[in-house]
Amino acid sequence: MTRKKVKLAYITNDSARKATFKKRKKGLMKKVSELSTLCGIEACAIICSPYDTQPEVWPSPLGVQRVLSQFQRLPEMEQCKKMVNQESFLRQRITKANEHLKKQRKDNREKEVTHAMFQCLTGKSLQNLNLMDLNDLGWMVDRNLKEINKRSDSLKNVTNSQMAAGPSGEHPSQRAEVPVFEVNNDNMQRQQWFMDLLTPQEPLGFGGSDEMMLPFVDNNQNPPWSNTFFP
Amino acid sequence: MARKSRGRQKVEMVKMSKESNLQVTFSKRRSGLFKKASELSTLCGAEIAIIVFSPGNRVFSFGHPGVETVIDRYFTRNPPQNSGTMQLIEAHRNATVRELNMQLTQVVNQFEIEKKRGEELSQMRKAQSQCWWEAPVEELTLPQIEQLKVSLEGLKMNVTKQAQKLLIENPGPPQFFASSSSGGIFPYDRKVGGFNPNMVLPQYDYNNPGYRRGFF
Repeated sequence: MTRKKVKLAYITNDSARKATFKKRKKGLMKKVSELSTLCGIEACAIICSPYDTQPEVWPSPLGVQRVLSQFQRLPEMEQCKKMVNQESFLRQRITKANEHLKKQRKDNREKEVTHAMFQCLTGKSLQNLNLMDLNDLGWMVDRNLKEINKRSDSLKNVTNSQMAAGPSGEHPSQRAEVPVFEVNNDNMQRQQWFMDLLTPQEPLGFGGSDEMMLPFVDNNQNPPWSNTFFP
Repeated sequence: MARKSRGRQKVEMVKMSKESNLQVTFSKRRSGLFKKASELSTLCGAEIAIIVFSPGNRVFSFGHPGVETVIDRYFTRNPPQNSGTMQLIEAHRNATVRELNMQLTQVVNQFEIEKKRGEELSQMRKAQSQCWWEAPVEELTLPQIEQLKVSLEGLKMNVTKQAQKLLIENPGPPQFFASSSSGGIFPYDRKVGGFNPNMVLPQYDYNNPGYRRGFF
């Protein structure tokens, strides 16, 4: 079995073409046979070439006759409904291939934007994004917000119905590395941060460690963007 | 990911027992069979006809140059007509098929490239997501969720601000939203489903790894 990619075009080299024909014809017959056996269905194949005086058939001349009569007994419309030739078959394949391509591009874009969102959450600048990037980013943020709100609502319902003993939220389950945050709802301070963000600044490094803080949140009164967080 | 298909495993050559599997197998193998037949005709110029009855008794057929033509030739043993008109028709048909094959090859190649990029992107994410806020929402505690919410809302505001800034700097019809906008640009058109891969396609430059103007 070759691992080389075969170009989908008529093979001009005579001996190569003959060799390919022999191999592939054999393979094709095998595939028809397998299909017929595995699925218990009737089928036939006819292959004509300049290399054989007689056309080669599967399963046998008698078998071919049988299937052909069965075929021709059908109303014309039924015969034609799923009939294809090279042209129509290739068009179908192109359509399907385009669909796969489109889906893959969409998935890739989604991955890209998610990645960007997390980078922006930890301080990377929005400066280099064009309108379309911003649009996609905003959409992604919104989608995440929706999920989060849903989750937070369901969690709140659970804690409400369970009437959890003790105050909730004061000491969140801690992972050793993550310090306790305090959410500061001071609007003045928040605006300050946005102003900082909107002035052009160097894109900030992305450390990737658990000690990093999320921006927009008051981290024990430390100013955001200070070098302590982004060494 | 659990293995879904039998892939490179040996399959016993007897009629399949499970009806549902049989249907799927028929569908896939029939498609593959036609693909092989198509390749054989293209590569070697062979004339082929294949007729297949489905488990549900529908009939599928593939023929090059055409099912009927090949059947006729088989029965009547007529040598192919070599009139000038026939040759012209055949030449034209072959040219079309050649083009279609090239088109198909192109699309498949593009797909391979995108698929590779997808795998790279997944690798990148795996290597970098050590931060708690990147974990799936279900794994987060309520306080963490509250934090994340605040941050996301802040980010959203910034994105909006930045977009407005860009719009002010570059007035004029924004081409990228032409196909989707329902009148306003912000709030962005959610009906489109967020992503519009179609918008960028003509500008993709696959030779340039940083092919976007953005920072991705």
